[in-house]
Amino acid sequence: MGRLFLIELEGRIYSCRLCQSHLGIADDIISKAFHSRNSRAYLFDRVVNVTVGEQEDRMMMTGLHTVVDIFCVGCGLPVGWKYEFAYEEDQKYKEGKFILERNQLAGPNVNAFPFVEAFGLVGIPEPVDDA
Amino acid sequence: MGGVEDGQPPSKRLRLSCAGSSSVSSGVRTEEPVAASSLRDSMARPRQCQGEEEVIGSRGMIKKLEFVRLIAGALYALGYERSGACLEEESGIPLHSGAIKLLMQHVLDGSWDESASMLQNICLDETIMKSAKFLILEQKFFELLDNGQTMDALTTLRTEISPLNIKTSRVHELSSCILHHPHSQNGYARKDSLKPKLRSEVLDELQKLLPPTIMVPARRLEYLVEQALNLQRGTCLFHNSSDLDMSLYADHHCGRDNIPSRTLQVAVNGEVVLKHRLCGHQKSVCQVAWSPDDQQLLTCGTEETVRRWDVLSGECLQVYEKAGFFAVSCAWSPDGESVFAGFSDKSLCMWDLNGKELESWKGQKTVKISDLAVTLDGKQIISICRETAILLLDKETKVEKLIEEDQAITSFSLSNDGKFLLVNLINEEIHLWAIDGDIKLLTKYKGHKRSRFLVRSCFGGLEQSFIASGSEDSQVYIWRRSSGQLVDILPGHSGVVNCVSWNPVDPHMLATASDDRTIRIWGLNGANMRHKVVQNNGTHQSNGKL
Ligand SMILES: [Zn+2]
Repeated sequence: MGRLFLIELEGRIYSCRLCQSHLGIADDIISKAFHSRNSRAYLFDRVVNVTVGEQEDRMMMTGLHTVVDIFCVGCGLPVGWKYEFAYEEDQKYKEGKFILERNQLAGPNVNAFPFVEAFGLVGIPEPVDDA
Repeated sequence: MGGVEDGQPPSKRLRLSCAGSSSVSSGVRTEEPVAASSLRDSMARPRQCQGEEEVIGSRGMIKKLEFVRLIAGALYALGYERSGACLEEESGIPLHSGAIKLLMQHVLDGSWDESASMLQNICLDETIMKSAKFLILEQKFFELLDNGQTMDALTTLRTEISPLNIKTSRVHELSSCILHHPHSQNGYARKDSLKPKLRSEVLDELQKLLPPTIMVPARRLEYLVEQALNLQRGTCLFHNSSDLDMSLYADHHCGRDNIPSRTLQVAVNGEVVLKHRLCGHQKSVCQVAWSPDDQQLLTCGTEETVRRWDVLSGECLQVYEKAGFFAVSCAWSPDGESVFAGFSDKSLCMWDLNGKELESWKGQKTVKISDLAVTLDGKQIISICRETAILLLDKETKVEKLIEEDQAITSFSLSNDGKFLLVNLINEEIHLWAIDGDIKLLTKYKGHKRSRFLVRSCFGGLEQSFIASGSEDSQVYIWRRSSGQLVDILPGHSGVVNCVSWNPVDPHMLATASDDRTIRIWGLNGANMRHKVVQNNGTHQSNGKL
């Protein structure tokens, strides 16, 4: 098989619970006050290593949105969705942002050996459990 | 330009023409029987009313007089003296007026005074006249000087050249020649610009000064034909053939047949002969690079070391590693004398072949998935240093230049002249950058599909005028390099096409590797072109990567 192209993140990393591909970092979380059908969910400014599905209009608790589901590049696990368009004026801030479902995520973990060690970084906060 | 000024024409046809063509053509008309023009067919019907010139060609854009003069010029340039004269005679259209002919002859004979006075007979703009005179008198000056007639040269300078009142600094240079001339025997060497030219060179210079209507530029017809061929080549969408294949008999046009579009060979696992199993890496191998002489391989294991192998024996010759970190990429220097690798601490390293570390560059120099390349001169190391940036690191001056993109960079490849970089982006775009001198984005290529895998692209074809790329839709995409126009999509594979490699020796052969576990070799479609592919069995340097 070809080589997967996976971006490596740095910082406190949320990754795919199945294949550990990096998906987002804690610093990019805009809000933790979201919910999906199955789990709590976080709104991220930026998410990496995902492919997108078909665009569709979906009625959310906050109104009608055009969204695409997102899947882990490494294993294909559905991990959340991306807002392409918000019909309600006060929901526009979500356009172009991503939802990751908490129950599909592992972490956050600080980037492991060796990238961090190489730079002798100290004082990195311990991973917090926010489940 | 002024009006017609007759000097002392030796014959009627040597009438001077300064207003150029129109006055010459009026001269022509008087010699042409009226009946002849009325008998012409409608296509070439002369649109010759009073004061208008005769034109030819389907669009009436070519002035017949100019055309015939160029043909005569071409004949003379080819050495067909008699034919040229014959054409001038038959058409009644002189290549050059009598005055110009005399002038040219005087220049070739070295009759400088006659040449200078002949200029007076050609009506010229004051500035051009002075420049032309200066050119001629300067040559007279140098020839006198070389003949040892120093005093005569001095007189020419004082009484003829200086009074022109132009090119003061050049006049000073000329007078310095006189001062130094006596010493020329003992080692004082004059610059080339202070020596007499060949007389034919003086003629060339003169032609550049005079208006083209008066003195037709040498080899003008050849130049025009070349221009037409260049244009045809430039607009030929599938152009992938040698200039020798171009003909004047028909407009040049490469068909779709001229780029590899037909599968010649499908190599499934097992069809190629296994020569050696290179054992040593513990994990999967992520990069392979052939040495410049094709005798060795450099391999980089995922989260491991870099190894150098002998291709003939299959023996591992050297391991390159950095304690505590794993290698992410590898490359050869163009001379094959040193090897480079990127490491997980983001540094780059250079070793000699025996594994002695020659240099290392610390800091943000590479990412985990990065290509690595060294320019042909061996001076610049190229590496993806950040998700969206490529580093061009000058080994000697330590100068770092960056190619910055908005999107994550998945891979890149260097053109064979080392002046261009093809950059693959995560958002299904390929960008062509000039990296020789100022870094500049030149062209974008779009159409292929990519969402999960490292999908490679490459330069290829004659003069690398095409770009090819793999794609996740199982097809191969080919663009015109210069315009970015998508010219072909090749179906055939049944899985992601991960890697493409255009044969650097045969512009008509392309190899592609796919998740369908095959490698396809593509060649020309036309059966008549096939021999070109089959004949090629030369070895070449390649830089295969998985
Ligand atoms: Zn996954």
